[in-house]
Formats: sequence, C-alpha cells, structure tokens
Amino acid sequence: MADPRVAGYAEALFAVAAAEGDLSVVEDELFGFAQALRSDDDLGSTLADRALPMARRLQVVEDLLGARASAVTTALVSMVVGAGRAAELPAIVDAMLERSAASRNKAVATVRSAVDLTADQRERLAAAINTRTGREVEVRVVIDPSVLGGVVTEIGDDIIDGSVRRRLNQLRESFR
Amino acid sequence: MTNRRNRLLVAPLLALLALLVFAAPASASGESVGSCIAEKLGELIEESHGDLEEVLHELHVDASIGDHFEKKCIEAPSPILPETNEIIWGGSAFLILFVLMVKKGFPAVRGAMDARAEKIRSDLDAAEQARVDAQSVQSDYEARLADAKTEASRLIDEARVAADQLKGDLADRAETDISEMRERAAAGLESERAQAIADLRAEVAGIALGAAERVVHASLDAEVQGRLIDAYIDEVAGTDG
Repeated sequence: MADPRVAGYAEALFAVAAAEGDLSVVEDELFGFAQALRSDDDLGSTLADRALPMARRLQVVEDLLGARASAVTTALVSMVVGAGRAAELPAIVDAMLERSAASRNKAVATVRSAVDLTADQRERLAAAINTRTGREVEVRVVIDPSVLGGVVTEIGDDIIDGSVRRRLNQLRESFR
Repeated sequence: MTNRRNRLLVAPLLALLALLVFAAPASASGESVGSCIAEKLGELIEESHGDLEEVLHELHVDASIGDHFEKKCIEAPSPILPETNEIIWGGSAFLILFVLMVKKGFPAVRGAMDARAEKIRSDLDAAEQARVDAQSVQSDYEARLADAKTEASRLIDEARVAADQLKGDLADRAETDISEMRERAAAGLESERAQAIADLRAEVAGIALGAAERVVHASLDAEVQGRLIDAYIDEVAGTDG
C-alpha cells in the first residue's frame, strides 16, 4: 500500500461498506469487478477514457453492476470512476480487501486457478496456509485459465506456485 | 687627373717657349751672313778706294770673290763645336729647361706614373679580391651543391626506408586483417551454428511443449483439476508425504 491516494480511496470504500453493514457482500462484488477490469482491457480503457463524457462512463458502470450488484457496490464503483480513478480501481479494491481483512486480523490470499475451488477446498487451503505461514487468511479465488491446472497463491509478496503452467515452464527451461 | 694632364701639357710648352725665346738672341748676337758679306764688301770697296764700278766688275769677272764671300761668311766654323754664345744660350736654356723639368715636369710625370701604378695596383688588388670572392662564391656554391646532393641523397634514402617500412606495415596489417577476418568468419560460423542449434532446440521444445500442453489441457477434466487442487493444498500444508 505504497500509494497514499490508493490507500485513501481504499479506506473510504471500507468505511462506507462497513457503515452500510453489508461488508462481505460488497467485498465479493468489488473483488469480482476488479478481476473483470484486470481481464478485460477494453473495459478498463473505456472507464478510464477521459475523452468520453463522465455520464457515459457512469452509465457503463450502471449497466454492468446495476442488476448484478448491490447498490452500495455500484455507488462505490461509480464514485471511484467519477473521480477519474478507474485505472487505479483494481489496486484500490485490493487495498480495501486487505484493509478489511486486517480489521479482522487476517491477510488476503489471492488464489488463481483454472477452475473455482469448492468451499471445502477454500477452508482447507486457508488452514494449510495458516499451518505453513502462521497467518490467518481469507481466500479470494481468481479464475485464470492460463494456470491450466493446480493453484497459484499470492499472500502479499509471497507466492506459492503449484500450477501446471509452472511445470510446463520448467520443462521449457530444461530444453534450453 | 686633370691637374696631372695639365702639368704634362705645360712642360713641353715651356720647353718650346724657352727654345723660341732664347734662340732669337743667339742668332742676333752671332755674325749673320748678310753682315759678313757687307763687311767683306766694305773691305773690298776700301781696297778699291771707293770705286764701285771696279768692285762690280771684279764681282762679275772674278767669281772667286763670290766664292770667297761664301767661304768667309756661310761656311760654319765647326760641325762639332758650336759657337760660344750658342753654347751659353743653349746650355742656359737647357739648364733652365732641365730645372723646370726636374722641378715641375718630373714630379708631375712621377705623380702621374705613381697614380697610374697605384691605380693599376688597386685594379690588380680589386681583380685579386674579385678572384678571391669568385673563388669563395664558387666554393660556397660547390659546398651548397654538395650539401644539396647530400640532402637529396638523404631524402631519397629516408623515402626508401619509409616506403619499405610502409610496405612492411601494410603487409603486416593486411596479414592481421586477414587473420582477424578468418577468426571472425570462424566465430561467426560457430555462432551461427550455435544459434541454429539453439533455434532448432527451442523450436523442437516449443513443438513438444505445445503438444504436451494440448495433451495436458485435454486431460485436465474436473476430476483431475480437483485432484490437482487437493494435492496442492496437501503440499502447502506439508502433508503430502
């Protein structure tokens, strides 16, 4: 959380979501929208395009989230986009999730996998990470087909890579 | 120069003037032929007691009287010894002329001669000096010519040495360049060969990995994915044995 501006927005989102009393849902929806921005470059560039009128950009947000997310989530995303910080929205959401987890004395473990993890797998993975690192974590799953198989877990700067992609890359390196 | 020339002209003029001046008294003081004849004729008249007719008659008749007059009046006393007055006048003139010549002419002539000799000596000295100078110039010229020849020879030798050096340097450089080109060519060939091997290996690896990825992707169904995730969780937990 090096950027004070990102930290400020994250703190604001956390405060609003906590004040509205539906923090867990808002976190999930914000995390999903941030992953959509990361995977869809066109969406990110559209929301960050200052040449487009602000009303048009906010209308895009409303079209995407209006029927799928809570009003609080839509309002928070609209607030960030309306402030002209759409490009920083994924980082703001990450910081907000870390801030929220930290309020519960936990860290965020971002798990990338080709398929979604079951609830049991999430709980066992959280327990396994706790066993390995001694830290309580909240697992956030990102569906990433490039992983092919297995899981890649990121906890802050620590990465635990058990993906098929990594093994194929190792095999590729061995050919050189 | 002009003064000396004037002296040379004055000397003979003085001598001629003295001759003319002193010659007249010499002839006037002596007994002339006319006075001698007049004297003899007077004596003849006295002998005839004033009878002119007789005298004329004797003169016409007796030719010897005329001869007598000629012998008495015209014939020189001596062909060798002049008259005394002539000796006096001539000697005086000679002495005066001699003194004038000694006092005036001879110094002038001697001065002219000395000047001429001095001029000749000066000319000779100048000629000698000119000859010496000419020899000096010639020697200097010959020395310069020799120096020029030496310098030219030295320059030619230096040029020859430089040319030989340049030739050797060019040959060495060409040899070095050829050697470097050979080395570069060999290195390039080796590099290209290594690159070709690496490219071929990478291409083979890419083909093999692409095939493996496709096989793996095809084999990764939900069950396999679940097992992989479970295996990962066990690995993280450190319970995978």
